Parts: sequence; structure tokens; C-alpha cells
Amino acid sequence: MSTESLPILVLGGGVTGMQVAGVLASLGHRTVIVEQADRLGGRVRRLSRTFPFFDDVGFHDGLEFVSSLERDLLATGRVEVRLQTQLSAIEGNFPNFTAVLSDGARIAASAIVVCTGFTPYDPAGLPEYGYGKIPNVITAPELEWMLNPRGPTQGQLRRPSDGKPVKRLAIVFCVGSRNRRIGAPFCSRICCSFSTKQATTVMERDPSALVACFYMDVRTYDRGFEEMYSLAQERGAKYIRGRVSACRALPDGSITVRAENTLIGRPFSGEFDMVSLSTGMRPCHDVERLAQVLGVERAPDGFFLCSRWFRFPHDSSRDGVFIAGCATGMKPIRNCMVDGASVAARVVALIRAAST
Amino acid sequence: MPDRDRPISPGELCSLGYDALRRLSDEQVVGGYEALRDQPGPSAHGTVYPNIARLHQSPLEREKDRREVWNRAASTPVPEAQAFYEEAKRRPVTWWLQHQLVAKHAFKSCMYCGVCTARCPAAQFYEEYNPRMVVDAVLSQDEERLEGLLRSDLLWFCGQCGSCKPCCPRENNLMGLISSLRMLCQLKGWHLCSVRGRQQYFARHLWGANFWNRGCSLYFRNAAPEGHPDFGPRWARYWRAVEAQMARVGASPDQDGLFGGRKLPPETLEELRACVHHGGTLALWTAVEEAAMADAGRRGVDLDAYWTLVGSEG
Amino acid sequence: MDARAAHTCLHQPRKPTEMREEEIPTDRFFLPPSCILGAVNPSTEVCIARLYDLLGLTWRSASVGPRSQCTCCSAILSHGDIVTPETTLLTVARIWALAHEQGLDHLSTACVTSAAVHLECRETYEHEPGLAEKVDRWLQEACGRRLHIPKAIVHCSDVVYRHRNALAERLRYRLVDRRTGAPLKVVDHVGCHYGKVFPERAVGGAEDCDVLAGLVRAWGGVRVDYPERNHCCGMGFRQCMIRPNRGYTMACVLRKLESMAPYEPDLILTNCPGCNLFLDKEQHAVHELTGKWFDIPVLSYTELAALLLGWDPYAVAGIQAKTVPVEPLLDRIGIPYDKDRMYVPDPTEKAPTHEH
Repeated sequence: MSTESLPILVLGGGVTGMQVAGVLASLGHRTVIVEQADRLGGRVRRLSRTFPFFDDVGFHDGLEFVSSLERDLLATGRVEVRLQTQLSAIEGNFPNFTAVLSDGARIAASAIVVCTGFTPYDPAGLPEYGYGKIPNVITAPELEWMLNPRGPTQGQLRRPSDGKPVKRLAIVFCVGSRNRRIGAPFCSRICCSFSTKQATTVMERDPSALVACFYMDVRTYDRGFEEMYSLAQERGAKYIRGRVSACRALPDGSITVRAENTLIGRPFSGEFDMVSLSTGMRPCHDVERLAQVLGVERAPDGFFLCSRWFRFPHDSSRDGVFIAGCATGMKPIRNCMVDGASVAARVVALIRAAST
Repeated sequence: MPDRDRPISPGELCSLGYDALRRLSDEQVVGGYEALRDQPGPSAHGTVYPNIARLHQSPLEREKDRREVWNRAASTPVPEAQAFYEEAKRRPVTWWLQHQLVAKHAFKSCMYCGVCTARCPAAQFYEEYNPRMVVDAVLSQDEERLEGLLRSDLLWFCGQCGSCKPCCPRENNLMGLISSLRMLCQLKGWHLCSVRGRQQYFARHLWGANFWNRGCSLYFRNAAPEGHPDFGPRWARYWRAVEAQMARVGASPDQDGLFGGRKLPPETLEELRACVHHGGTLALWTAVEEAAMADAGRRGVDLDAYWTLVGSEG
Repeated sequence: MDARAAHTCLHQPRKPTEMREEEIPTDRFFLPPSCILGAVNPSTEVCIARLYDLLGLTWRSASVGPRSQCTCCSAILSHGDIVTPETTLLTVARIWALAHEQGLDHLSTACVTSAAVHLECRETYEHEPGLAEKVDRWLQEACGRRLHIPKAIVHCSDVVYRHRNALAERLRYRLVDRRTGAPLKVVDHVGCHYGKVFPERAVGGAEDCDVLAGLVRAWGGVRVDYPERNHCCGMGFRQCMIRPNRGYTMACVLRKLESMAPYEPDLILTNCPGCNLFLDKEQHAVHELTGKWFDIPVLSYTELAALLLGWDPYAVAGIQAKTVPVEPLLDRIGIPYDKDRMYVPDPTEKAPTHEH
């Protein structure tokens, strides 16, 4: 069987993995997607909405987007999806790998594309925020799911402790990021943007709500994001510059949030019904095992190493193993889609060169 | 008027103020003090050293301390640490930040996140104070700004609680930095420019005297109700028989023993004083003393009155 | 630190965030005494020795005959900015030398600030190359002793924590209201210098310190949380000891009392000498200034242990020195006392001698 006709193994069936498979299909290549969950779509499934982009109406929610990708992908007929499966080992080298899966299957593949994404930081590691002890302190992914009309409260904001409506929401930026003390000096890049998106959504639905965003910087860097930040403030969201130092529970279930308002140099204390911690990124939960199985190195920040970042941003430290999407660090969906397309081009080019 | 040539009774010695004491010889002052200190006497709860009660915080003790510190500080060889702190008096603040043992490790970089200020109790209660101001001044590396900070009261609001320490995302030690800058402030004499800075003279002869003479930073009689009406009438009632109460629970008020109020033998004090000396602290104490003498002179009060004054200002 | 090292992170905190119970040694301690305890609550300190004796532990101070060689560690002078760090290093090194002379390499200090100062000295040797050799030389020049860094530095409350269950078996009384059978509500106030300065040496870390809460649980009570639990008591070294500044201390005490009052605690439990002093004594000042009498008794862990063990409340536990009467609490627990013996020293009531 010629190299060019071997399938390409795609690890991870989130939006990046699906995009990789879709683009490879359009270039005439078959793929096998190995996904550990029981369905495709990864974390995007639960998003209550995707980022707005100028006149692009976008998708109403993450599930709509994921379904559209999945439909188009399966229609190509060139992809095999293996759910609830993981990669156990690989044998051989580029362009003739044999991948051994957790169900025992052995798959011959010419290349491997790693799209295993990221894990949100677990804020139990910062006990001063009270996550896990104070019921009304939640994380951004939990807030996102709560805002989703398909979610547990049909999109209504309700306090986990007693179901009362949330009129005062605090959104805490930089939880688990930009903190040398906990071993995470990096910025997680997207939290300012998704937090601002959440603030805009809450204010749109309930103009009388109080939403306070506690930030250190507002890194809404991508196209249309700065406009989204202005929109959030025009809608009435308050932005207070200061890292939150502690959340304390009050007898009636509300929460005191403490920070310094650094722009005026005074300590700030406010009471809220619910606090959402905008958690940063960590590598996928089994990154250590995967790095070993794949025989690739990790960068000092813990994510997979891209050995030639400028010229070939998807190349890992091992020939034939490529990395795309949030596996190199959290990024917006649109960049995952770009990654998916660009890694496909790289893979195809190398496979063709190896076949001649 | 007592003078160097005629012997002075212990009772008289205890009653003298600064003006008289400074005319006496070292032997009269130091020797007289030590004889009083080490004199034992009986009590209901065993042998005590009854004169410590009137020696502590007395003008005699302060003058004796001054003599001992000056003599020791002037002795050679000068300990390495003392030479460093003498040098620091002449050097810029930025030099200190790079070279002093605590300052050089205390501070790396700051992102102005404000967690320290959010947690700081002093920032809550003093509207003009904010620990980040200290950081900002240090980051600026601007000598003029730093001098301005050290000459102000702002440096003295910190209560050294360490609430800022566990949460700093850049792992700075703000508590240590502030303490270190306070030391430099005194070495340069800039503490005279602020009400709270001047209090350091009081502190030096409160804790410093306790340490130098009794090996503890606090002496039980420092907590007397006259100075602590905020402690209430029950404390005053307890205090009426404080020595007996202390002895009753197993402490050693002005006695030989292991626990509270104990008198340390002279050999132990000598070892401790040598540690103080070799650590360079005498550079600090002589600086504070010189500053106080100059300031007292400007105000037209004697040094004892000055000590009381700076301990009650503010 | 080079740029690459600055980016390296382990996704774990750079230092441990708490001390595990097993790290606390169980026996053979050198016991440096406390200045504040010795001056204001001397019974507290003597009770440490009594508790150690009860538990059959080997402990020593340093003395020649009846005359102590043990000085304070200079913590108050250091935080009061009137001694240099080098003086503190030497003073502490001398105490370590005394311990070494006794054949002991575990230190348990009676004061939490003292423990933090000892730990800071040890840490400074790690950060500053060549410092240990220098201090060793200076110590020899000063007093003919050598630098011996102890294996373990803990606070006495750590030791009592470690032995809390053994003590629980010997308690004659428990933290229970004898009329209703309900556990007493205890606020745990952990000293700032215990939990915050070196969280990696605090049981449970900085935020959820367990060193006192564990005692409460083991001895029958229930620990109540409240928003200002981690707020400093306001002792503040130069703030409490220089009279014009003492308003700061009062303000901090008031803030804590107001925050805990709705939870109706029966007792404030402390492990720091300063907190034990000011949370109790300033309740009078608070009453004078605001008219509010909070009437919440304050006990240190050793005072509480002494009372629950059935030792004499006055001759041993020393509660007559308190500003807030403790007798109502004793009534609730069922501990008898003779008020006539409160201020009268009884010549037959001798403290035990300690053989060295």
C-alpha cells in the first residue's frame, strides 16, 4: 500500500481534529479520528455562543457549529471515527507508523496529527477563591454551560446554592494564569476575551444585572474583540483593574469579593450573588503519557514542543508527528480552524515528498 | 551635682536624669548599673533581683546603653556587617536595594495586580497608604522618589503581618522589603522627617534595651496598666500582684529560671551582645542615637524628654 | 534567572503549599520561649512544658543550673526594624547552637513569629551563597559557637496538633455545652506568621490552616468560619507597642469581632502570643469606643488544653489574666473553679520544676 493511500491518524475529535480531517479529505486523504469521549466536538459543544464577528451572524451556539462541522466531515466519506478510544502506543516511523489503540486495534498510518486540546485549570489549587467550598463560586466553563439555553437552567443565571436568580455577578480574570507562585507564569490568552463575551451575554439578557469584571489587563487582541470589549462596557458591565485576592461567603449565601482598584489605588470590596472564575489553560490531562507514547518533547511551559516555530509551526520534535489547535495553547475557534487547514497542507506536502 | 570624682549611692544613681548622668564616668554608670542589676534579694516566691524593676526604662539604663554601644561600636576590629551598614549611610538607596541581604532577595518584578493591597490591613485603615506605592518607588529606581518615600510617614504603616506574602503571583517579599527600607531610613537619619519615623528612637530604647539588658524584646513590666488603659480594669486588678501571679503559674519574674520574666546571667548577655555587635546593628543604633541627640537639641529638650515625646506623638 | 528558566513551569506550585502532618516530628524538642507569652500570659508557656511532660516527650531549654541561657530570637526587633538581619541570623544561630549542645535537632518555638524567623534564617542560607560559612565564622568570633542548622523547625501548636488525639483521650472535659450536649462553636484564629509567611510550613497551608481547627474537631467542638477569618489581629509590632499607633490594632480587632459575631462563637482559639493577647485585651477598648461588648473569650491552644485536662484554671491555666472573663465558658463546659482563689496566690500551689 503506498504511503499516500495510508490514512492519517488524528488524535482528538474536537473542532481542530474535525477541521484537520475535513481539509485532508478535501485534499484526497483519508483519516482516522481517535477520540476518548463518546462523541465528537470537544469543548466547543457546550459553548453558549461563539465570538461575534462583525457582520458574520456566526452560530447560535457551540453545538450548532460542531454539528455543522461534523455533518460536512462525515459527508466526505473519507473519515473513520473511533469514539471512546485512546492511543496506547506507536511503532515505526514516518511515513509508516503503526498506531496501537486502547481497544487493541492496530492501524497503519502515514502521519499523526495531535489535536488533543487543553484542560481548564482546576481552581481548587487557589483556595482563597473558595471554589469547591463556596457553592456560588463557579468556573467560566460552568458559567458558559449555565448560559446555554440547552443547559441545566435553560440559560437562566441561578445560584447553585438555592436557585435564586443571579443579579450580581463577579467575573474574575487570570485564575491559574500569570502566576509564578503556582508554577504557571504564562498568560492563557483567551480568558479576557471569553470573559468579556460572557459579560456581554449576561448584560444583553438582563440589562439591570450588575456584572463586574476584575482584570489585570484586557487582552482582547483578536479582530473584533476590542469592539466586543467596548460593547460590554456600553451594555453596563463594570471593569475593575485588580486581581482578586479572596472570595468569602456571607451568611445569606452571597459572596464578598476583595481586590484593589489599582487605577485609583484603593482596596475594593463588593458583594455578589455568584462568582465566575475565568480559569486559564493547562495541557490536556494526559499530556505526560501522550508525550511518552508519541516520543515527542514538551516545551518548558508544559505544552507539546513545536520545534521550528516560525517556519513550520506544526512540527513536533519527531518527524511525522504534528500538533495543531489548543494542544499548543488555548486559542479562539477561528484559529483552531486555521491551524487545522495549515497542518493539513504541511502533512500532505511531506507525505508527497516521502512518496517520490 | 554628682560628678566623676565622688562615689554615688545606688539610690542616687537611679534618680538621676540625662543631664547629670552624662557627666559621670563609664565606670560609674555601667558599674553602678550592673551592681544594682545583679543584687539579689528575698521575696515571698524565692530569690529575686529587685532592682530590675526600677532600672528598666530608666534614664540610667538608657545612658548606660549609650555608653556601652558607643564604646563597642568604636572598638576594633570592626565587624564586617557593621562596616557594611556604615558604608550604607553614604550610598544611594538603589545601592542598598542591590546589596543588602534582605532587599536583594525581596523583590523581583511587579505586574501591579494589587493582590497585596487587597489583602493589606493597613491599606484598609489608612487611606493614604498602599503597599504598591512602595513597589512603584522601588521599580522606578529613582533616587529622588525613593528618598521622598523614606522621608514620609508612608513607610511606617505596614504592620509586618505578611498577608501580602502568600498571594503575590511574582513571589515578592514585600514585608521584608519594607522592613529593610525602614532600616536604611534610620541609617540615613531620614526617619526624623516623619512622626512615625521618629518613634523609632522610642522603639530602640524599648525593645533594644530589653534585648541588650534582659535578652528578651519584652519585659513583663512593659505591659503595666498605666500604659495600657485599653486593656481594661481586670488587667489592672491582675497587675496589682503581678509578680506573685507569675510565680504562681511557674514563671520567673526577675528571677533565675526558664520562663517569663527571667533574668539572664551576665555571661549569656555578653554572648548576645556580641551577636548584636557582629551583626552590624550598632551602626544602626549609633545612627538613631545621633539623630535623636540632634533632634532633641533642635527642639531644646533633653534626651529623656525627647524619648518620652517621640513615644507619644501621633 | 535566565529567560528560559523564567518560562519554565511545572504546573505545580514552585514550593509545597502546605505542610503535611507526618512532617511534624513527634518528640525530642528544644523549646525556645516567647517574649510576649513570658511577659503577659506566662501560664501559656509553662503549660507547653506541662503538656510535653504529660505526653512523655523529651524536651529541653538551655540553662546553667537555674539560670537560663536562652534569649529571644529578636523577631520583634527585626519586624520593628531595629536590628539588622545579620544580628537576627547570629542570635538565631546561637539558639541553634544551644539546641545542638543538648543533642536536639528539632526546634519547637513557643511563638509563631519566632518560628517564622527561624525558618527565614534557614531559607536565607539557601538563597545566599556563602552566607552559612560567614555566619559560622562570625558566631565563632562572637561567642565561640558553631552554626548547626536544625533538621526541623516547628511551632509548639504543630506538636500539640500532632498529638491531639493522644491528648483527646486524656481530656476530662470536651468542647461541649453540658446542658444541651451541643458542640461549642469555636473560631480559630491562626497567627499570620504561622500561616502566611511560610505556607509550606503550615498544616493545611495559608488559606485553610488546620492546626487549630484540627484541635477543635478532636476535642469535641465545631469550628465556625466567617468572612474575616484570615484577617490579621492587628498586633503589627510597632503599631501595638507604640501607644499612638495602637488604634490600628483596635480597628483590626473590631473588624474581626464584627465579622464573627453573627456566627455566635463561644470561644476564639489562638496559637500566636500576640493574637492571644490583643483579641482578648482590646475587647475592652472596643467597648469603650463603640459601646459594643462582644464578650467572646480568647484562649490559646495550651490554655484550652490545660482547662479541658482539668488543671487548675487559675494556678495553671492563668485565666485570671484575661480581660474577657472565661468563667462563663467554664460554666458551659462544666469545669469547676473557685473564684476566691482567682487573685490570691497560694503558696502551696507550686509549679513543677524541670530537671536539666
